[in-house]
Amino acid sequence: MGGSKLIFSGKLSKFLFVFAIFFAFLAPVSHGFAQQNIIAEQRPIIDSLKKQTADLSGQMAKASTSDEELADLRLQMEGVTKKLLGVGLAFRPRLTEINARLEQLGPAPAQGQPAEPAIVTDERNRLTGEKAQINAMIGETEDSSVTVNQMIERIGEMRRELFTRTLSQRVDINYSLGSQVVGAAGYETQKLGRRISSWWRFVLSFKLKPFLAAAFFALAAALVLHFGARRFLGDLFLRDPTVEAPSYLSRLSAAFWSTLIPSAAVGVFLGTTYFFLDYFNVLRTDIAKMLSSLFSVIVIVYFIHRLAKAVLCSDMPNWRLVHIAPKPARVLTYLITTTALINGLDYFLNTVNQVLASPLSLTVAKSLLATVLVGLLIIAIAWVKPLEQEETGAVRPWPKALRVFLICLGLFPIVAALLGYIGLARFASQQIVVNGAFLVTMYLGFLTARAITAEQAFGSTSVGRAMQQRFGMDETSLDQLGLVAGILTNFVVLLIGVPLILLQLGFQWSELQTWFLRLMTGFQVGNFSISFTSIFTGLLLFVIGYFITRWFQNWLDGSVMARGRVDSGVRNSIRTVVGYLGLALAALVGISAAGINLSNLALVAGGLSLGIGFGLQNVVSNFVSGLILLVERPIKVGDWVEAGGVAGIVKKISVRATEVETFQRQSIIVPNSSLINDNVANWTHRNKLGRADIPIGAAYGSDPRKVHALLLDIGRSHPQVLKNPEPFVAFKGFGDSSLDFELRVFLSDISSIVLVENELRFLIVEKFAEEGIEIPFPQRDINLRVEQIEAIADAIAARKSQPKVGTGSGKGKVTAGAAKAGIAGIKI
Amino acid sequence: MNRYAIAFLLVAIGAGPAFAASAVNNDSEPRTLVVTEGSTKSDLVLSPGETVDFCPAGCFVTFPNGDRQALTGSETIEITGGQATIN
Repeated sequence: MGGSKLIFSGKLSKFLFVFAIFFAFLAPVSHGFAQQNIIAEQRPIIDSLKKQTADLSGQMAKASTSDEELADLRLQMEGVTKKLLGVGLAFRPRLTEINARLEQLGPAPAQGQPAEPAIVTDERNRLTGEKAQINAMIGETEDSSVTVNQMIERIGEMRRELFTRTLSQRVDINYSLGSQVVGAAGYETQKLGRRISSWWRFVLSFKLKPFLAAAFFALAAALVLHFGARRFLGDLFLRDPTVEAPSYLSRLSAAFWSTLIPSAAVGVFLGTTYFFLDYFNVLRTDIAKMLSSLFSVIVIVYFIHRLAKAVLCSDMPNWRLVHIAPKPARVLTYLITTTALINGLDYFLNTVNQVLASPLSLTVAKSLLATVLVGLLIIAIAWVKPLEQEETGAVRPWPKALRVFLICLGLFPIVAALLGYIGLARFASQQIVVNGAFLVTMYLGFLTARAITAEQAFGSTSVGRAMQQRFGMDETSLDQLGLVAGILTNFVVLLIGVPLILLQLGFQWSELQTWFLRLMTGFQVGNFSISFTSIFTGLLLFVIGYFITRWFQNWLDGSVMARGRVDSGVRNSIRTVVGYLGLALAALVGISAAGINLSNLALVAGGLSLGIGFGLQNVVSNFVSGLILLVERPIKVGDWVEAGGVAGIVKKISVRATEVETFQRQSIIVPNSSLINDNVANWTHRNKLGRADIPIGAAYGSDPRKVHALLLDIGRSHPQVLKNPEPFVAFKGFGDSSLDFELRVFLSDISSIVLVENELRFLIVEKFAEEGIEIPFPQRDINLRVEQIEAIADAIAARKSQPKVGTGSGKGKVTAGAAKAGIAGIKI
Repeated sequence: MNRYAIAFLLVAIGAGPAFAASAVNNDSEPRTLVVTEGSTKSDLVLSPGETVDFCPAGCFVTFPNGDRQALTGSETIEITGGQATIN
């Protein structure tokens, strides 16, 4: 059973293989055919794009008063430019083919050269002709592209003009028209009602099923979002009322999620509703416009409401983010939501006015009312006394500067509106509300970043705990990671917040993209071109090079040299040299990748070289000495050396200095130059063999040959003394006080010299004592004259005649005789 | 931990910058490219051996021998004997 299956699959795969090869051969052939006709193919495309360009140009002239239409036209034009570029690109394979073939054919023969076959000339002419055609067509495309781009720039100018005009336009407000406006309002409301009801009837009679389907899907989406969010994400933002003092980070996180998730849910719900209604073609254009503006208003107002609630948290003061007392917090929340609501209503009603083509006076009156209300509400916010004293709970007003700022902010739209600059007032109030919300959110993001970088904070978050479990990291590295996370959060907040604000201000997404790309990839500042991406790449390459060097060092040391049983000193040298080389290489690669032009630095370096040269003299000398040490190795790690007046074991040879540890365990850092320039005594340079010399003096009167034999015995008797070279006793000379001998023994391990010398000296003392050989103190011959002898005798007699006073307490009695003899005092 | 860090670094490098087209002049005399970017035509002069990054967002180029090409910003161009080869 298995066997037959195998055979079957084998046959099948063979068949497929042949099939695939057949297709592979077929494809380039058909491709080639397509290539031949590329000119014919692209011609109509170019023509249609040109026509499109002309159309757009015409539309542009007509749409000079509508910002929306201009933005839409711009998007279309950007599409056209992309297509034009695509057309240019489509010619590339054919051009490459033609160029390759022309190269194969070679250049045309010069005047005096033999003629080439006609076929070749024909083909060359044909190909050159085709290439010229293609170049001409690309030229056309290029010109069209230039035209369209110029139109795009013109649109930008027009929009800016429109914007300034809107802001600076002054409407003459005639208050006597008040009653007229009220009447117009009533009329417009009726009109709106009629429109909606006509649409509704239309839907009921013709599009009931699609509408129900859309409503069903929308409801399903709503239910999914509501329960899904509650269930899966609920614990992210549910606040526990029992917790007394939640950490700042958890408060922030709760605030963030409790703002984002419900707003996103509402946004998604409304978006899907609109999408399904649109998909099922239930909407009429005017209804669609009004509905979309209504939905966006709802989302924004809801977002602001949730934001205010999250930050102020009037019902759960333990979880609030700023020190605002609960009662004022409730008032503030209400005020902020109302401001957003009025602004949103103004925006929505503006769309309605547009759709219904309402009279200008109504629009003006509505905007006037809305902006004045918004201004009043902002002033009301300034009047609230929200700040709470920590201890007493008493409430204080905002800090003076903030109050003044808020009052000015509130007065601005009011004054502008009352003076007639309705456009300006509307713009101001809209920007205050929306940008205010964005800025507050970004501020929360920055606070989060700051809280993450606080000590110990990262470790207590769920991400931090997960990383600790997974990677087993300790506190300090978690803290460092927290720092990195904080910086990343700041970046992300900026990256998301700034484009949103700019988009909202009216910039186009493609503009932002180009700016960002240009910022990242390089811009000129004077003579320098700074490019963040290349600097970042350079840094990254350097870090990678560093890690590779470390890894290579370890591998070389651990695998290659350990196996080869290379001497540890050699290993250390090779490891260090490889490290330096690798680091230098990584630095070079990094710097060249960062695009830093080293030739600019050369001038500066040339000027500084004099001072650097003098200052770094010693350091460079030490460095070079270090390299020579590594190569020549007069000393290696572990040697017992005496250099520069210090003796000890070499612990580490670095680039500038060598660390020598004395036997008192004191580390002496010896500059390398003194190891190279002066004499270095190395006990263990070639091997651990060394000679111990013990000078000993025997008193005059001892038998020198006996002493000699004795010392030789002692030397030979010690187990650690080598038999080859033999111990040797030298009769050094006739000293002032003694016969000087020296016992010289060779040891296999010179580091045990102190122990061996100790033991030998013990043996010498014992043996000399046994044999009765005296080791003399420094000797002096004293010549006494008769008078001095008599003085001594007198002193002794005097002492004998006196009772015993105590031992050793004899003071020097200067007897007459002693004085005559010139002796200061005799102690007996 | 280090493994992940290294892997991340490698990915970051690999995803790396092909942000602009680059042209290198392999001739021994300066060559001029006429670059149409957006709505402006400009001359880009390459001295012998020089490599220049240009055209991050698509452009049309006219080479010294009269050939025209459209670029998207991720190509490498070599100029030899006035002729250009695009990779």
